[in-house]
Amino acid sequence: MSVRELLNKFILVDTPTPLLKQAPTTIAFLGAVAIVLSVPGLDFTDRTAAIGGIWGVIVATVLAAVFTWQPAFARVALLIPCVDLLAIGFFRVGTGGSLSLFASLIILPVIWIAVTPQRRYIILAAVGTSIALMMPFILSGTLPQGPSDWIRGIFTPIVFAIAAGIVNEMSRQGRVQVAAIRALAEERDVMLRGAVDYTNRLRDNEERLQAADRLTRSVLDAVTEQSVIGTDVTGLIDVWNPGAERMLGYTAGDAQGKRYMHEFHLIEELLLLSKELNYPPGETVLNPGFSALVESARLGRPEVRQWTYLRSDGSSISVDVAVTRRVDETQRTVGYIFVATDVTQALEVSRLKDEFVGLISHELRTPLSSILGYLELMRDDEDQPLSDEQLQYLGVAERNAHRLLRLVGDLLFTAQVGSSSFTLDATDIEVSPVLRASIESAGPNAAAAGVTLITSIPDVASPISGDAVRLGQACDNLISNAIKFTPRGGTVTVSSINTDDQVIITIKDTGMGIPTDELDQLFARFFRASTATRAAVPGVGLGLSITKAIVTAHRGELDVESEVEVGTSFIVRLPLKTTKKLA
Amino acid sequence: MTDAPLRVVIADDDPDIRTLVSIAVRRAGLNLVADVGAGDTALVALREHKPDIAILDVSMPGMTGIEVTRALQDDAELSGIRVFLLSAGVTDVARQAGIDAGAEDYFFKPFSPRELAARLVEIVAKPGAAL
Repeated sequence: MSVRELLNKFILVDTPTPLLKQAPTTIAFLGAVAIVLSVPGLDFTDRTAAIGGIWGVIVATVLAAVFTWQPAFARVALLIPCVDLLAIGFFRVGTGGSLSLFASLIILPVIWIAVTPQRRYIILAAVGTSIALMMPFILSGTLPQGPSDWIRGIFTPIVFAIAAGIVNEMSRQGRVQVAAIRALAEERDVMLRGAVDYTNRLRDNEERLQAADRLTRSVLDAVTEQSVIGTDVTGLIDVWNPGAERMLGYTAGDAQGKRYMHEFHLIEELLLLSKELNYPPGETVLNPGFSALVESARLGRPEVRQWTYLRSDGSSISVDVAVTRRVDETQRTVGYIFVATDVTQALEVSRLKDEFVGLISHELRTPLSSILGYLELMRDDEDQPLSDEQLQYLGVAERNAHRLLRLVGDLLFTAQVGSSSFTLDATDIEVSPVLRASIESAGPNAAAAGVTLITSIPDVASPISGDAVRLGQACDNLISNAIKFTPRGGTVTVSSINTDDQVIITIKDTGMGIPTDELDQLFARFFRASTATRAAVPGVGLGLSITKAIVTAHRGELDVESEVEVGTSFIVRLPLKTTKKLA
Repeated sequence: MTDAPLRVVIADDDPDIRTLVSIAVRRAGLNLVADVGAGDTALVALREHKPDIAILDVSMPGMTGIEVTRALQDDAELSGIRVFLLSAGVTDVARQAGIDAGAEDYFFKPFSPRELAARLVEIVAKPGAAL
């Protein structure tokens, strides 16, 4: 702490305390007392008055201390110099009266009074001075003896009043200047604090920006299995993540600011899309292929499309690319982001699956064709008719060959549903004839199993958009299942009912039922209910998954309700084709 | 239209299927002029016999049935042959490929010889596009 700071701490010159203001008077007074007591030949002329003066200064000093300690008394602080003036008056009487050496002490409390704002205190200073100087006459109750005493009692106070006026004015001007300087200083302080705040905000913003930048960078760097490439609107690359480096073989330094996005595409594919989008041929835009590439994203529709990327070593790679646009704060397009996933492996798996499906299709169906064909020839041979027993054996062989064929068909269908090659041949069809045909073909089976088949199909139109062959397959599956799982003597009820917008088909049996906790797995591939396996009902668990797939492809719903030992109901809901517009 | 039975060439790599088809062809009252076991030999037989009808398996060694069909379409002398493809394929895409190549229709495996014969009788009764 410097000397100036120390002084500033204990002596507040800007706002001096009463004690500080009193200090010169007290010190000078003590000096005067010491001089009188120590210098030979000097002595108190009136001991009582002198002691009264000393007491007065002590009282004033104590008051100053109290007022300093209790700022609430600040309003009456001028009492102190007044007491001082009186005390000095007494002391002057005690040290020689008009001849006293210590009349000059008066100047100290007068200055205190004079520096107090407002000019009326000049008068107070003059009056106080006058009283102090006239004290000998006031105490003795006499009038001044000669003109010199009168002059001392009037002229000196006038001089003091003038001095007090000058001091008062100077201190007023001083205060004005101090106030102006203080105002300036405060203004500067405010500006400085503003600047500091602004700097802090800038620094905070910069830190946040850096944190956001680090986050973005770490996210981009973490994407190693996909390439993330950013470009400006012309296709010039400005973002190139490690995934892109891995996928395409170029480093960020090779690509950013140097290469264009379309350079990594097969030009034939880009031209094909340009043609699809009806771009005028031979158009001389910067990169027509790039325009086609981002056409959809530019219009605000992010899209995923399969493309072929060219790698640095000249090889190519199949990718699914999601293109989205980058916008600035005004939503103006400033570039594009390309996120690509390597689908080479997925395509290979899909190709192998299709190949496998084709193989099964050919290798299993061809021998079955021969088996069924020749069995039929044997049955049809009119020259050598078969015995009843032989016909029965033949029936068993045929039935099992058909079963095998159905299984192959189901397997193929299941594989197709899993791949993209499953399509519905949807046309406008009627549900009722399809359902009736399924019931009719199930008739012999039901009879053989000793199950009563009850049908309730109203004679109303039930038009839907669908594939009659597939829908028939779904109905066949549900009805043959119901018969298969119903014991001899039971019933299977097939009914349909139309609501406003749906046709609801219900196939209800009185069979063994399905445990509740198995119902949600019922439509999974190869799932078989425990009741079915316990009862050794043949099957592989594909029928319901296929049925579900068919119903779903018709935008319908397949539900099941079941109770063990009571029976099961399958409910198919298909959306009716609206005919209200025509009605 | 002449009274002479229409002439047929069959191609399938499976001899049992070939026999089954030929039985159906004879039962339909048609004249089987050749049956072969591969795509390329089928094309040779077709060029040699110039039959009215060709029944070709889709998947055969040498050339596929679809490739043979295309070759027939490209040959002015042979483009009049009515081609029927025999397939165990199931997808609509595969089916369309054959029709696009110029085949008139498909027979699907497995088939009933009785029904195939009936289909052939129908086909003969209904004249083909060019004949």
